[in-house]
Amino acid sequence: MPPAQPARVVLTTGFSQRHTGGVKEFSVEPGTLRGVIKAMDARFPGLGDILEEETTVAIDGEIHEVVYSQPIRPGCEVFFLPKIESG
Amino acid sequence: MAKHHVTTTINGNPVEYLCETRQTLLEVLRDELDMTGTKEGCGTGDCGACSVTLDGRLVCSCLVLGVEAAGKAVGTIEGMAEGGGLHVLQRKFLEHAALQCGICTPGFLVAARSLLEANPDPSEEEVRYWLAGNLCRCTGYQKIIEAVLDAAREMREA
Amino acid sequence: MLTRTKDEEKTLKVVGTRPVRPDGEPKVTGLAQYGADFSLPGMLWAKILRSPHAHARIRAIDASRALALPGVKAVITGADFMEQPFEYVGPERVAVNYWHMTRNIMAREKALYEGHAVAAVAAVSPAVAAAALKLIDVDYEVLPHVIDVDAAMAPDAPLLFEDMITRGVEPAPTRPSNVSKQIDFRLGDADAAFAAADEVVEMSFKTAPVHQGYIEPHACLARIGADGQGELWSASQGHFVVRAYTAKLLGMEIGNLLVHPAEIGGGFGGKTVIYVEPVAAMLSRKTGHPVKIMMSREDVFRATGPTSGASMTVRIGVKKDGRIVAARGVFRFQAGAFPGSPVMNACMCAFAPYDIANVHTTGYDVVCNRPKAAAYRAPGSPISAFAVESVLDVLAGKIGMDPLALRLKNAARTGTQTAYGPKHAHDGYAETVEALMKHPAYKLPLGRNQGRGVASGYWFNGGGESAATVHINEDGSVVIATGSMDIGGSRASMAMMAAETLGVPYEKVRSTVADTGSVGYNHVTGGSRVTYATGIAVVEACRKIIDDLRGRAAQIWDVNPSGVVWEDGHARPASAEVGDFAPLSLKAIAAKRAVTGGPIVAEAAVNAGGMAPGFATQFCDVEVDPETGAVKILRFVAAQDVGRAIHPSYVEGQIQGAVAQGIGWALNEEYIYDKNGRLSNAGFLDYRIPVASDLPSFDVVMVAVPNPNHPFGVKGVGEVGIVPPMAAIANAIQQATGTRMTELPMSPPRLLAALDSAEGA
Repeated sequence: MPPAQPARVVLTTGFSQRHTGGVKEFSVEPGTLRGVIKAMDARFPGLGDILEEETTVAIDGEIHEVVYSQPIRPGCEVFFLPKIESG
Repeated sequence: MAKHHVTTTINGNPVEYLCETRQTLLEVLRDELDMTGTKEGCGTGDCGACSVTLDGRLVCSCLVLGVEAAGKAVGTIEGMAEGGGLHVLQRKFLEHAALQCGICTPGFLVAARSLLEANPDPSEEEVRYWLAGNLCRCTGYQKIIEAVLDAAREMREA
Repeated sequence: MLTRTKDEEKTLKVVGTRPVRPDGEPKVTGLAQYGADFSLPGMLWAKILRSPHAHARIRAIDASRALALPGVKAVITGADFMEQPFEYVGPERVAVNYWHMTRNIMAREKALYEGHAVAAVAAVSPAVAAAALKLIDVDYEVLPHVIDVDAAMAPDAPLLFEDMITRGVEPAPTRPSNVSKQIDFRLGDADAAFAAADEVVEMSFKTAPVHQGYIEPHACLARIGADGQGELWSASQGHFVVRAYTAKLLGMEIGNLLVHPAEIGGGFGGKTVIYVEPVAAMLSRKTGHPVKIMMSREDVFRATGPTSGASMTVRIGVKKDGRIVAARGVFRFQAGAFPGSPVMNACMCAFAPYDIANVHTTGYDVVCNRPKAAAYRAPGSPISAFAVESVLDVLAGKIGMDPLALRLKNAARTGTQTAYGPKHAHDGYAETVEALMKHPAYKLPLGRNQGRGVASGYWFNGGGESAATVHINEDGSVVIATGSMDIGGSRASMAMMAAETLGVPYEKVRSTVADTGSVGYNHVTGGSRVTYATGIAVVEACRKIIDDLRGRAAQIWDVNPSGVVWEDGHARPASAEVGDFAPLSLKAIAAKRAVTGGPIVAEAAVNAGGMAPGFATQFCDVEVDPETGAVKILRFVAAQDVGRAIHPSYVEGQIQGAVAQGIGWALNEEYIYDKNGRLSNAGFLDYRIPVASDLPSFDVVMVAVPNPNHPFGVKGVGEVGIVPPMAAIANAIQQATGTRMTELPMSPPRLLAALDSAEGA
């Protein structure tokens, strides 16, 4: 069986400058959001907590709260953006 | 300082209370008589949330002293529904979704009843001007105006 | 103009109707209890002493004379509250710094705005408490102050915090300033792309801070016992958040504080934060008595959060055919006395309705000597939209294009890249523009001194954490409980969604808002999230109930649960093979509650995602009186993508209310400060919100592009309606007078001055 197409993690410029040395895009195994966060934390220790606490995630544009069980399909874009809140 | 002994009528019932000279009718209603249906939005007569009638006249109860109610008839929101049923205005406010948070609603209802007593067939503009002393921040007033006009229609036909 | 959805499998019976709200009667009879309406035996009254200075060091506070006054039970100052660590916690956009929060509740080293709380008294009556305030001696060293955002950014401005280094700038500045944070969002290369534009317009704008203007002043009642447990009755947009903040500032465990949700008399974002709750709680802890605090209206204006005032520069370039090729926005926002303006939202929303390849937005969060900004309906977005939508209007004029056609040509759709990161995942914007293009009033001729203006707006809409409980009573009636404060009819929409899901009449379902001990965590009623997120929790709980009821019907019939279906409020055999059983109603199953396993109850808790943004496009017609500068709103047409309206009357109400607030923001509302930094108009007489006679009836056009991620297609509707009005009105005034207004409010004196100077030029 060929390996599944990876998912693409994308960070904002400001966030990447602060946490990933300015690298904005990463390839990760699809599966669940928990797996994505673990993979990012493995590359940048401590980043997992920051992603969980400070971001909302857009999966192919669809906005979700960061919830571990969120499915991540092969080939999709996982965009971590500042958490959304309001009046 | 000695308190004043005030004898008055509230919503048709004889009521006696003691109040300080400086206490407003609003404070007496809310803090001494537990009639918290009359709301404080500003305390300066600008918002109409504390609207009551005094001998039939529409007033802001935050601008009336408790002692001034002596010998007069006070009408509050608590006296609006009669005999187990709602007043037409109250019913129309609900049917038209004329309240969102509801804090201004008692004042609007008291003011609207006063309008319809003075003018049973008001135009939209007359309703808007009569109620210009009552502030609502939720609704943009539209559904309130519609409810009052609908209530007036039903009351005229009754 | 509600369009039908294509994928509707069955006719909805309850959703989309307009029943009376379940909490309606107590609200029209005066029986509903709001924040100020609770009392307890032995209750004390508290009042708060406020700084008369915009900026002053507090050298000493002497309360001995106040404490000597008969009837005074306690005085507290900032020193009574535990110190909090200086750190920003939580997501960047809404980061909380408890070091700041505890200082906003009660000043410590310095008073940072006129009205800043410096001490509080609990006494046996409001009169004694008021008298005691006058006996508290505060030794102030008055400092230079700064009110305006541009002045606060100047290099020689007085500093509110002598050690504040701007965050978000690499390398970090070496000199402190009032700029708390800088934010940038970039897409493409805006600077280079302007060269390709046929027309480029750059303009600068200013907006005034405006208050949410809820009619109910903040109020609460607190009781903290000697056992360390306490209760709070508080009017807020989220009693779970009130509990968390208050417990933190008092050093309590969250479980030791029970918060009862009082009815809330309006919030609009301003009651997502706390002011009086920790003060009442601390005074109760200190005296052993219940303590009640009611803010005056003056307190509300001087000490609670308005939204930010701003100074902005926006530059947009278009091709002759109307295609926008580049956009640049610089947004400088007043945070008030502590960091935390909604400037990040402003940057993100500014160009979000449009498909633009090259965008650069920069935001500055700037402290100054005014009350700390709080959220206000779509916080940040209306401010940046005023600038962006005004510049688009100028560009439409320059290239001779209808302003709606210009917007439609550039409309963001599913798949459009946003400047702040992800791609749009939902349509809805273009549909609002098209709805107005088709509106019969859009082509009506205008008279002398009249003008028509259009503008659009974007708002994220929220999801997030909600929990709901559904109980089936022994007579078959249904009770649902959520922890989402009902500000504008959400009990009704929850009951409607439950009734629709269970297949029972609306009247069979009662809907309550439960205290923090009786239902799972619910985040604030804000971000237009409740009908979406709490609605999903309610529907999920109802689906669990249905599974339970199917199982109980299976027990009654002695068949396999998979052989039971739920239809129209009844359990039925799935097929003839299961057996020939008469349908069992909810009531019939409920009657067998005990023998089928006991209470019928289900809870659901969600952290809801998949919410769709709100899009709005509006046009208005105005008439300007050239003698007075007064602007009369003749017509206002507001189109908004509502997904699907659960209770259309309350959806219309949200849009009408948002437009009315926008009109006040555009034409009247502002804070007026004297040279000492003291607010001159802290009351509804001089801070004039729109009254009934100021406004016409609005024409609400509900565009329905359902959100497939919600069981009934809901999109948040509460906020986006306030985004377009300021620019729409400015654009209409321009058409009526030929004068472009770039500063809010466009009040009669300011407009008259602009008209006079245009005439003199």
